[in-house]
Amino acid sequence: MSTKRISKELNDLAKDPITSFSAGPVGDDLFHWQASIMGPADSPYAGGVFFLSIHFPTDYPFKPPKISFTTKIYHPNINANGNICLDILKDQWSPALTLSKVLLSICSLLTDANPDDPLVPEIAHIYKTDRSKYEATAREWTKKYAV
Amino acid sequence: MEIDANTLIFIIIILFIFFSSPDGDGVSSEYEFNQLEILKEHMRMEFNSFTNMSYTDNFRNITGFKLSYQDELDKHGINATYPIDGKNYDNWKTNQQYLMLPDEVRNYIKSDVWNMSPVDNIYPWNISSTVIGNIDLSSNHKFSKIKMPYPQFYEPPYDMNDNTPKTGDNYIEDWSNTSELHNVTFETGELSIKVSHLDDVTNQIDSRKRYMFNSQDDRFKMLILQVDFHDKYEKEKHSINSLAVYDIQRGRILSFSDSAKFHSLFAFPHYLTLTNSDSKDEESKTIYEESKKLITEYWNRSNFVDTITMTDLHNAYDDANNKCEYMMFLQLSPWNEYDRDEMKLIDKELNWPLGRPINISKIPPVTIKSGLMYSPDCGVTLIVNASKGTLYEIKMRTIRIHIMFGIVLFIAQIYLLLRQMQHTNTPSSVNKISVYTFSMINLVDGLLACIYFISASVIPELYLPLIISAFASFILASIFETRYLISVYASQVNEQSVSIRTLLSGNLEDAERLGDRPVIIPDEASISSSLYGRVFFTLFVSAFVVLSSLTWPLHVRKIFEYTSLCVLYSYWVPQIFRNAIKGIQSRSARTRNNNTANRRQNKLPLLWSFVIGTSVIRIFPIIYVFTYSSNVFRHHRDVRFAVLLSLWLAFQITVLYSQDILGARWFLPQHTIPEGYSYFKAITLQYLSEHGDSNSMETHSVDCAICMSEILLNIEDVSETHKVDIYSYMVTPCNHIFHTACLENWMSYKLQCPVCRAPLHPI
Repeated sequence: MSTKRISKELNDLAKDPITSFSAGPVGDDLFHWQASIMGPADSPYAGGVFFLSIHFPTDYPFKPPKISFTTKIYHPNINANGNICLDILKDQWSPALTLSKVLLSICSLLTDANPDDPLVPEIAHIYKTDRSKYEATAREWTKKYAV
Repeated sequence: MEIDANTLIFIIIILFIFFSSPDGDGVSSEYEFNQLEILKEHMRMEFNSFTNMSYTDNFRNITGFKLSYQDELDKHGINATYPIDGKNYDNWKTNQQYLMLPDEVRNYIKSDVWNMSPVDNIYPWNISSTVIGNIDLSSNHKFSKIKMPYPQFYEPPYDMNDNTPKTGDNYIEDWSNTSELHNVTFETGELSIKVSHLDDVTNQIDSRKRYMFNSQDDRFKMLILQVDFHDKYEKEKHSINSLAVYDIQRGRILSFSDSAKFHSLFAFPHYLTLTNSDSKDEESKTIYEESKKLITEYWNRSNFVDTITMTDLHNAYDDANNKCEYMMFLQLSPWNEYDRDEMKLIDKELNWPLGRPINISKIPPVTIKSGLMYSPDCGVTLIVNASKGTLYEIKMRTIRIHIMFGIVLFIAQIYLLLRQMQHTNTPSSVNKISVYTFSMINLVDGLLACIYFISASVIPELYLPLIISAFASFILASIFETRYLISVYASQVNEQSVSIRTLLSGNLEDAERLGDRPVIIPDEASISSSLYGRVFFTLFVSAFVVLSSLTWPLHVRKIFEYTSLCVLYSYWVPQIFRNAIKGIQSRSARTRNNNTANRRQNKLPLLWSFVIGTSVIRIFPIIYVFTYSSNVFRHHRDVRFAVLLSLWLAFQITVLYSQDILGARWFLPQHTIPEGYSYFKAITLQYLSEHGDSNSMETHSVDCAICMSEILLNIEDVSETHKVDIYSYMVTPCNHIFHTACLENWMSYKLQCPVCRAPLHPI
């Protein structure tokens, strides 16, 4: 079941590619994908390309895929290990969600961080108190790691 | 490895306790050291007195044998301090003038107990067994009690500075205050004598090396008897550990209890000859000399004095204060069907089974024909009625066969469980299984594993078969059953906060609340760890209760046994309820819609072979134990209970079967079951135009959001779609359509619509 569904998603991605990201399996393993997200233009991450590693569980789509950033990124909801704090990747997962929907959500998370439910409280604090400092650091990190 | 200060201190304390514990002889103070030295000296002195005593001499300074019955009658209350004025020490006759036995008792022994002629009778060599029989009280007030003081050095010190034990004798005056067992008050009771042979001894404390000591083991053997007798209700229990001498030629067993007030080891030779009225005859002289030799050999080989420990001293002191002393005279039935050579062969075959030509199953039981117990210091006489016991070695064989049969049952149970697990391999079918049914089954198997483990450590002879059984039951309980329990439990996590009524009806108002609940994504690892924890906790608590129940009074124990068996054998009841909740259709309704999806949907959760097989496997041991009176577990017989329990189990199976035939809810009145929401229905064209996508009007299908492949629909207005099974897809109350398999699968994780997150009610 999961193999069928994952290959279906892969076909759909090939049929109608989405500009803000690209994704595909690593090698022959259908359960391990890699994706890259373009930093959204209206965010301090603009110009950067962020790589993510995606692992589908064997009982996908009943359990969410495990997604993490492999590129370092300065964001209140993403920690140094690349773990993402996003509700639909955890308890709000639904089998009707697809990988592209999840990646789009991650894109919008880059534009609009959620400092009220942070994974890195220090960044969230700076985000809330000194927005320009946050944007400068994020831009600096993007230049350093994602260009 | 890093060791922090706490660990270090802990280790030092442990080592301190370990090394500072008393040595082999258990002496931990100067007082105790002196006590033990005095006792050793005392025993040496008594042994000297014993060695110098000839066949025609009276007992001299031997603790417990200083007074005869006649002395007590003549000079009531006389002090038993050696030497007693006017007592004739240089003569010996077998009457109450010299013996502690009243003439009446002695005559009874002569005429009714030790009355077999030594000629023409052959007695078994090996009589290790547990002999079971009845005991009758002959009298408990007729005979005078003979005073029996104990040497005062046995007493514990009065204060910490006391270093020298007292000398002199102490008389137990207020018997009734120090002990509740100074009399036998029941008329008739049950007796069990565990007979084991004492063929070899150690000659050092804490030594494992054993030496044979008996040079005349074709004529005399030493035995250890563990005698227990109690009334029918086990209110009054007496238990005596005693040494005995077995006269193989005559089939006589003489046993004396032993304590601080009764150094009975030295009395065997005289009392073995008590049936011979003429004390000067050759036969009794031989008996006297040979048994004296036996005692001497035992004394020398076991290094008797040097192996006395503080524990022995304390036990002797406690026994002297708490128990009556007993002399026991037993007569065995001869095994005249065998001759001497065959007897030897049997003995060898039982010790080292090599398949010698003997029919082991034909070997008769060890039978006590008659016997008498007499307590000189309590004046009690008890008559031992004919008692029997299977030879220990043969009993062990039988038990081994029983255990092997038990292992076969375990394997059969594992096979049935594996088939059952295969039968219910999807979350939705496992969902219909009752957790409680399997918890109960699991508890029984786990308890069995515990019992087997414990008995394996208690009975070394049966270690191997018991360990195999323990292993088999442990595998069954902890691997297969708990594993299955976990998958059943995981499939039902979502229902935990849902009331039974909601489950029955699938009422939507109730279901609305479900959406607000924190979402549970069942994580097998966390469920299994919590479930394993719970399983083992319950197991240990119940094992503890079962073990402690062995010491409860008889009637409480019986009530506990019966109620727990009744409860544990109701294991199909939770499944009956589960079936009713899940509302499995009747068999006719199921065959009517006979197609794959539907069959999957409605298949019975339990295999019939599993139900019947499990019931038979589990009731079989109960029937055996309760109806077969000579069962190896010595369980009392109660056919009625076995029949009732079997009927109760049969009733449960009948209800399960009726649910299969009539539908799971036949016993619930119709109006109590509200019409639930049905996920399975044909849909209308109008619905399709409102909810379908661009081309669904042509294909009569929609896409399943879960597996992203198309669902063929059964549409009321389009006749060519009517061949589509309405059970192959599900329509949610929020009008979303999924494949049955997809949505069922998701519902085992979360009762929420994947598309709009509206609450769903359980199927």
